Amino acid sequence: MRAFKRRRGMYAARLDTDERDVIAALVADVAELLGGGRLEARGPEAAVVGDGDPRMRIEPLPPPSDPAVRRLLPDASRDDPQIAEEFRRLTEDDLRAGKIARLTKLWDALTTPAEGWRADAFVVAPQDAQELAAAITDLRLVLAERLGIRTDEQAERLYDALLDSPQAEVADDAVEPAEILDPAARRYLVAVYGALSWLQESLVDLLLHDLRAPGRPAGP
Amino acid sequence: MQTLPDASVEQEEKTAVADPWVTIVWNDPVNLMSYVTYVFEAYFGHPRPKAERLMKQVHEQGRAVVSTGSLEAMEVDVQAMHGFGLWATLQRSGQ
Repeated sequence: MRAFKRRRGMYAARLDTDERDVIAALVADVAELLGGGRLEARGPEAAVVGDGDPRMRIEPLPPPSDPAVRRLLPDASRDDPQIAEEFRRLTEDDLRAGKIARLTKLWDALTTPAEGWRADAFVVAPQDAQELAAAITDLRLVLAERLGIRTDEQAERLYDALLDSPQAEVADDAVEPAEILDPAARRYLVAVYGALSWLQESLVDLLLHDLRAPGRPAGP
Repeated sequence: MQTLPDASVEQEEKTAVADPWVTIVWNDPVNLMSYVTYVFEAYFGHPRPKAERLMKQVHEQGRAVVSTGSLEAMEVDVQAMHGFGLWATLQRSGQ
């Protein structure tokens, strides 16, 4: 794995076949959690959320029961259930659809070789990079939830453990993880989390650099 | 000579009436500091120093007010933050 760098007007990283498979499997899992079905099993028509008929929800929508999905679609109020419920009713379908759409794009990019580039090149156009960075965020949020990372200190310890030795036992002192992970599964998720964090950092560095470049029109 | 209304009074009232809601971004252990800064610069159009100050406030104090306005405007901002994977809520200003 190589970090994102600017190459030929694009942002290009390097991911070998194994790394692509690992990330693509996670992408498919997260899309499925969000209700997008299995990306591998897509028919010729694009995946649609619900019955594909966009309309205003009338009935309240209960919060997702899976804590990882709830982290991707959090409550919009901490103290006013009515506001949270109204917000969820109005926005959740759109948010899910947007997240699934960009995960689908990422899955396609991981499973399709970039034409005119070396076989391990993972290439994104600068105008698509923000979407990719946001999709990686969703992957990391789900992994962190599964690993039971709830505090900055827990996240720090995880990075430290990765730096010391990627094979090291990662202290399993997290707060009541949703499922108890066996050590091998946990090591695997920690390694993927670390790799995605590092990849995302290199991507965001490029995004920030280009956003701040002189001559670029200010403001949104 | 034309008589103008007292601009400062009107401005104050406008703020009180027009900005009764705020969007708050909360700290989380996952999002990278660079990514949060990027979102504040790219989405809100904040200059770098303001984006970095808000990011540090989120990280160190656990939360920061990132925008103010009508309920409808804050719903748009909160939805955008959730789209980016940031944990945001809205509430009445001053609460």
